Amino acid sequence: MAVNPAKRRKLDGEASLDQAISVAVRQPTTFVLETDELLKESRLDYEKSFEGVDDSLRRIKTSIESIEPHEPVPIADAAKKLKKAHKIRVPFPEPAPPKDSNYKLSYAKPEQFNVVGSYVSKTMVKTQEDRTVDMIIVLPREVLQEKDYLNMRYYYKRAYYAAQIAAALQKEFEGTANFAFECLNDNPLLPVVAVTTKKMSTKKSKRINEEDPTANAQPQAEFKIRVIPCAPDGYFPKQKITAAAGLIRSGGDEDKKTVHPPTPFYNSTLKAEASFVSYLRVLKQAEKTCASFKDACMLGRIWLQQRGFGGSVSRGGFGHFEWSVLMALLLQTGGRKDTAALSPSLNSTQLFKATIQYLAAMDFSKKPFILGQAKEAPDAIRESGPVVYDAIRQLNIAFKMSASSADMLHQYAKWTHSLLNEKSADQFTPTFITKVDQPSLMYDLNASLELPEAFDDSSHDSRGKLASFCNKVHSVLKRALGNRAQLVSVGTVALPSWSITEHPAKPVESRVSIHVIFDPVNASRQVDHGPPAEEKKEAEKFQRFWGEKSELRRFKDGSILETLIWSSTTPADLCEEIMRYILPLHLKITANSVGLTFYGRGFSSLVTSSQSDTAAFSAARAAFEAFEQDVRGLEDIPLHVRQIAPICAELRNATVNPPTFGSAKSAPRPMDVVIFFEASGKWPENIAAIQRAKIAFLLKIGSLLEEAKRDVTTHLGLEDAQSELENLAFLDVIYESGAAFRLRIHSDLEEVLLDRRTKDKSLDQHIRTESATLLANFRRLYTHLPLHTTMFKTYTTRFPALSPTIRLLKRWFDAHKLTSHFPPDLLELFALHVFLQPHPWPQPSSATTGFLRTLLFLSRWDWRSEPLTIDTSSQSNPTPDTDNQLSTPLDPAAASTRLQAWRNLDPAMNRVVLLAVTQSDPAGTAHTTLAGHPAPGKVVAARMTALARSAIRVVREKGVEIGAPDAGKQLLFVPALADFDMRIVLDRKALKAASRVWEGEDPEADADEGVVARKFKNLDARTGAMPLPVGVHPAALLVEQLSRVYSGPLVFFRGAEDDVVIGGVWNPLVQRRSFRVNLLGSYKPVAADGDSEMKDGGESEGSDGEDDVVEVNREGIIAEIARIGGDLIERIEVKGQ
Amino acid sequence: MPSSRSTIGDFSILPISIPPLSSYPKPATHHLYLRRNAPKIPTPDDPRSLFIINVPADSTHLHFRALFTALLGAGRFESVTFEDDRKTASQALTDLLPAQAARLASHASKKRKREDEEAQHAREEETARLPEPWSRPLRRSGGSAVVVLADERSIEKALKAVGKAARSGRYPVWGAGVPEQNRTLGSSWVKAHVRLTYPDKAAVEAAVDAFFTVYNRREKEAAELAKRLRNEPDEDGFVTVTRGGGRTAPAKREEAEEARRKMVEKADKKREELSNFYRFQMRERKKEEQAELVKKFEEDRRRVDAMREKRGKFRPES
Repeated sequence: MAVNPAKRRKLDGEASLDQAISVAVRQPTTFVLETDELLKESRLDYEKSFEGVDDSLRRIKTSIESIEPHEPVPIADAAKKLKKAHKIRVPFPEPAPPKDSNYKLSYAKPEQFNVVGSYVSKTMVKTQEDRTVDMIIVLPREVLQEKDYLNMRYYYKRAYYAAQIAAALQKEFEGTANFAFECLNDNPLLPVVAVTTKKMSTKKSKRINEEDPTANAQPQAEFKIRVIPCAPDGYFPKQKITAAAGLIRSGGDEDKKTVHPPTPFYNSTLKAEASFVSYLRVLKQAEKTCASFKDACMLGRIWLQQRGFGGSVSRGGFGHFEWSVLMALLLQTGGRKDTAALSPSLNSTQLFKATIQYLAAMDFSKKPFILGQAKEAPDAIRESGPVVYDAIRQLNIAFKMSASSADMLHQYAKWTHSLLNEKSADQFTPTFITKVDQPSLMYDLNASLELPEAFDDSSHDSRGKLASFCNKVHSVLKRALGNRAQLVSVGTVALPSWSITEHPAKPVESRVSIHVIFDPVNASRQVDHGPPAEEKKEAEKFQRFWGEKSELRRFKDGSILETLIWSSTTPADLCEEIMRYILPLHLKITANSVGLTFYGRGFSSLVTSSQSDTAAFSAARAAFEAFEQDVRGLEDIPLHVRQIAPICAELRNATVNPPTFGSAKSAPRPMDVVIFFEASGKWPENIAAIQRAKIAFLLKIGSLLEEAKRDVTTHLGLEDAQSELENLAFLDVIYESGAAFRLRIHSDLEEVLLDRRTKDKSLDQHIRTESATLLANFRRLYTHLPLHTTMFKTYTTRFPALSPTIRLLKRWFDAHKLTSHFPPDLLELFALHVFLQPHPWPQPSSATTGFLRTLLFLSRWDWRSEPLTIDTSSQSNPTPDTDNQLSTPLDPAAASTRLQAWRNLDPAMNRVVLLAVTQSDPAGTAHTTLAGHPAPGKVVAARMTALARSAIRVVREKGVEIGAPDAGKQLLFVPALADFDMRIVLDRKALKAASRVWEGEDPEADADEGVVARKFKNLDARTGAMPLPVGVHPAALLVEQLSRVYSGPLVFFRGAEDDVVIGGVWNPLVQRRSFRVNLLGSYKPVAADGDSEMKDGGESEGSDGEDDVVEVNREGIIAEIARIGGDLIERIEVKGQ
Repeated sequence: MPSSRSTIGDFSILPISIPPLSSYPKPATHHLYLRRNAPKIPTPDDPRSLFIINVPADSTHLHFRALFTALLGAGRFESVTFEDDRKTASQALTDLLPAQAARLASHASKKRKREDEEAQHAREEETARLPEPWSRPLRRSGGSAVVVLADERSIEKALKAVGKAARSGRYPVWGAGVPEQNRTLGSSWVKAHVRLTYPDKAAVEAAVDAFFTVYNRREKEAAELAKRLRNEPDEDGFVTVTRGGGRTAPAKREEAEEARRKMVEKADKKREELSNFYRFQMRERKKEEQAELVKKFEEDRRRVDAMREKRGKFRPES
C-alpha cells in the first residue's frame, strides 16, 4: 500500500513528540514531586541558622594567624610548656610519644585556611543532628618533614598544632564559646578543636529583636565550628603509603628489610589528611557541571541519616561526604570503558536512584571497587576491609567503613533499590521519612558484648582496640551464622569529646552491640552440615572453626559429613545458642558471663512458636481434611458437594493459642466451615423457605454422618437470629477425638434473592437496607472468609514469621481489650500488610519485628483519609518486571476515591470507619463491618491508634531494651485499666462452670425440655459424655448481650477469653437530653428524685426549658448489669469510687 | 415546684428502688415512665392498658405482675407485652409468605378470610416457629412495654398509686415477690442458652415440616389466586397481569444473559476492527493519551499538596 510520503513524515514527527512526552512523564511523577517538596522543606535558612558564623570564622583565622611561631623543641618540653602556659593538654593519639623521645615540635603560621564541607556547598538539611562548619588549617611545610608519615610522627605534630590553636582560640573567645577536643569522624588519630558558640554577639541579636519582636521566640542560632588541622595537599609520597605498607615500625630500624604488618587505616588516614583540598575541588567541579548535584547530595544525606549512617567510624564511616564524593566521581568515571557512569543532565531523583543502584550492585567488602584507572598493583589497593578506591587521588574513600557497615550499606541500598522498582508501593515515605535504624524494629536479635580485658589487638593498625574487636566479632559471627542470617551487624557508640584541659577520653562504653536479621528459610535449622570427611582440608578448617562441637555423622543418603547439632528450636534460641558457643571459643570470653546480653526474647513468653504449635495447627488441618472426606463420602445427600471451605482462624494458623482437642474436661470448640453444593434449581424461591430447607438439609447430613461414622455425634444448633431471613441453624459435628466442626450451608439462590431484594426499588427503604446488610453478611460468610482462609494458609507457609506475628498481634489486642471490636480477619490483614509492604526493611523474619512493625503501621495509619490496601498481585508474581500485565494490581487511587465517597456520604462514620481493600474485596468493607455496623467503631479505632502510638513511643525510647526478658511484656501488654469508667470483674469459677454444659443436666432449667432428657437416655448420664460444644465463650456471650442491650450509652471492651476483666466506657455523646419515647438506654429525670444532688435541682429550677431533660441513669444501669451477670460477675468497680 | 417530680411530658414517673447485690453493693433507683396506652392503630384493650417506657433490661412477666400487685393489690394485672415481642410476632407472618403470595395478597386483601380459618392458620404458624434460643431474652435498655390490667378503673388506681409512691418516697422494690432464682440471670441463664441452642432434633424437624406445609399451601393459594385474577376483572374492570407461574423465570434470565453477552461480544469485535483504521482515530487516541498523562500529573500534584497540608509528611523522622 502506497502512503503519501509527506503525510507519513508528519505522522512520524507526531510520534516522536508523543514519545518525548511519554518519556518525560513516565517517570513516577509522584515520587519526583514528593522529593521536590522534601527538598524544599529540608533546605536550611543559612542566614538565620548560621547568624554570625562568618564573623566567628574571621576571628578564628586572625587569632590563629597571630600565634607566635617557635623553633623546634623536644616533644615533651613543648607539651609541658603548653600545659604550663594555657593548662592545655596536648591530645596526643595513642600510643602517646615516650617522655624521652627526641622528636622535635615547632610552630609556624598555617599555610592556608579554608572552609569546607556541607556549609560551603549548602547541602545541609534541617533535621540533621549537628550543624557544623568545618574549617581546615593546612599545616605549613616548615614544621613537617617528609619522613613524618612514619610511626605517628605526623599525628603528634598535628595534635600539638591543634593544641596550639585551642590555646589561641581560648584566649580570643574567652567565655563566649565552649571548647573541646573531639576525634574527627571518631578517628582516634585525628583530634580537632570544636568551638560551640554560647551566645553569639549579644549586641547584634538584641538589635534584631528590637526590630522584629517575633524573632524573640527563636532560640539563638547555635552551631559548632570544627577547626581541623591537616597536611598540605599531596605532601606525603603516595607510593610509600599504599594499603599494603606497614608504617608503624617498632624497633626504629627503619631502613632494614623487615616485613612490617600493613597498617591500611593509618595509611588511608594519612592520605586523606593530604587531600582535603583536592576533594573540595572535585565537589566544586561536580556542582558546576551538574545542576542537580547539590539536591542529590541532600537526598543522599537524608537517606543515609534515616539509616543511621554518617561519616564517623561509629556510624558506619559512610556519610554525606563519602556519598557526594562517590557521586562526583561517578559523574566523571565508573562506567564502561572508563566513561562517566552518570550523566550530568539527570535530575536529582534520577541521580539519587542511580547512586542507590550503584551501591546495591557493588559489594565493597567482597571486591575492591575502583573508580578510574588504577596504576598501582592490585595488592596496593586490596585490604581486609571494604574498598572504594579513587584511582586519581589514590585513596580508599571507604577506609572508615568496617566489613559490617559495608554489608549494612549494601543491604540498605538493595532494599531501597527494590522498593524503587516496585511501582505500586509508596516509595517516598520508606525511602526518606521512616527512621530505619531502630534496632528493635529492624533486627530480629539484638545482643551486646563487653570488651574482654584479655582481648589483645593483634593488628598494628590504629583503629583502636574496640574497633578491631568489633571486626573480629563480626567475622566470627558471620561465618558461624552463615545463611541463617541475612545481615549481621556489629557496632559501637561514638567516641566522646573531652575538655581541652584533660586527658583524651576513653570510649564511654566498652561494649559492642550485635544485631542480626534472620533468614526465615534457614534460621530454624537445627542441624548444620559441614564438608564431607573425605575433603580433609575443608574438614579440618571446619573443625578448627567449630572446635569440639563438630562431629562426624553418617546420613541416610550414605554421606559422612562434619555436623553440628543444636538443641534449641526457635530461630532466636538457636542463634543465641550458637553465639554463646562460638564467641567464647574465639574471643576468650567466658560463656555465660554478664558480658554477653541478649535482647531478643522479650515477647517469646507471650506466644510460643515452637514446633509443637506448628504440629497442633497441622493436626487441626488434618482433622478438617478427614472431616471433608467423611462428608464427601456420604452417599445419600440430595445434592452433590462442590466444596467444603474452612473459615476459622484455627485453620489458617492464626489463633493465639494453638487448637487443642482431645481433653475430655473442656467442651469442644467447633471450627467454622461452610459447605457448597452444586447449583440447583430445587431451592425454593423464598429466602425464609431457603433457610428452613437448609435446616432440613443439615438434619439429613447429621443423621447420615452419625450412621456412617461411629465416632461422630452431631448437634443441630440454632443461630441467635433476629429475623427469619438470616441463616437460622448450623450443624456441630463432633468427633470422639475432640475435633469439632460447625457446618453452615451455602445456597446460591439465597444470594440472588437477597441481591434482587436489595436492588428492588419498589420495596421500602428499611427493607432494602436490611437486605443489603444480610447480603453483606452472606458474602462475608460464604465468599470472603473462605478466600481469606485460603490466602492466609498460603501466606503463613510462605512467610514463616507471619503466623507468630499474627498471634502476637492478637495477643496485644487481647491485652488492651480491643478484641471484641475487631473481626479476627482484620487483625490478620494488618499483619499481612507489613509482610507485603515491608519497606524500608525486608520482610519481617521473626514475630517480634513483625509485631512491632505492625504496631508502627497502626500508629502511622491515618484511617480517616487512607484506606488499607492489601495488594497480593505483586506477590503471586515473583518477577514483577517481566509480565506485569497478567496480574491486576489494585488501584490505590480507586480505593482512595471510594473512601472519599464514604466520608462524604457518612461523615460521622456511623457505617464505615476503616476500609480494608483486598484483591477479592475491592469494596473494602467485608473485613471492617459486621452485621451492618462498623467493626471497629470510630471510638475504638481511635483508641487503637492511640495505643499503638504510645507503644511505638515506648519502643523508640527503650531501643533494644524492649527485647529484654519481660520488659516488652510489661511495657506493651499491660492494659491501662484506669482508662475505663467501669470494670466488670468476672468470676473465674462460675465462667468455667458455665462453659461446660451437658445435655439435660439442670432439672429446674430443663422444665420445658423434658422431652430432650427422656429421649437421649444415653446422653443423660454425665459420665463419659462430652459436654455440649461451646461456640461462644460465656464471657464473650455476656459482653455480646450487654452490648446489644446498651448499644447507646455504653461501650464494652473485652480481651481474651481467660481475661476476667471487662472494661466499660460511657459514651460521652449520650449524656443529657430531652425526654422522648425510644431513647437508647435507661434515663432518669434530672433532679426528679430524692437521691439527685441539689446542684442539679438548682439547674432545672433556673430554666423552664430544661424541664424535660433526662440524664443517663448510671447507677441504675450498673445495677442492671449486676443482675444480668448474676453469679458470673464477681464485682463491678466504678471509676472514682 | 415539688421536691421530686412526678411527671415528665405526659408520662408519670414511677421510681423503683433496686436492691443491692454483692457484686455491686450500692442501692440504685430505676425510673419507669407510664401513661395511658394510645397507639396509632387502636385496639379494644387500649382503655385498660398502660404504655410504659424505660423498662429494665431484665424485665419479665413475673416482675411486672409483682410490681402491679405491690401497687394495686392482687388480681389486677392481666398481661404485659414487650416491644421486642410485638415486633417478632408481626414480622414472622409476612416473611413466611412465598414471594408471589405476598404480592398477590396485597391485591386481594379486601377479601376477608373467615375467622376460624385464620385461627387455624395461626395455630399452624405457631407450630412452624422454631424454638427460642434464650430462656429469658433481655430487653433493650430504654425499651417499652404495654401492660394490660383487669379493667379501666385499675388504670386510674394505678396512676394514682404511682403518683403516691413517687411523692411519698416509698418506692416499690424491683424483683420483690419474684422467685429468688429469677432475680438474677448469671450462669444458669447462660447454661440454659447453650442448652436451648441445641434443641431436640425431632422438634426442629417437626417445625420445618409444619413450615413447609404452610409454605406449600400458601404457594398453592397464590397460584390459584393468580389464576383467578388473570381471568377476573376487579371492581374497576381491570384484569391484573400476573406471571404464568412455574419456574420459567430463572431459565429465561439465563438466556437473556447469554444473549446480552453475545451482543456485547459482537459489538466488541466490530469496534476492534474499526479502531486505528482511520488516521483521525489514531490522532484522537494520542490526544486522549496525552490528556490522560496531564490529568495524572495534575492528580499527583494535588496528592502532594494534600500531603503537604498534613504536617510531618515531609519531615524525616528522628
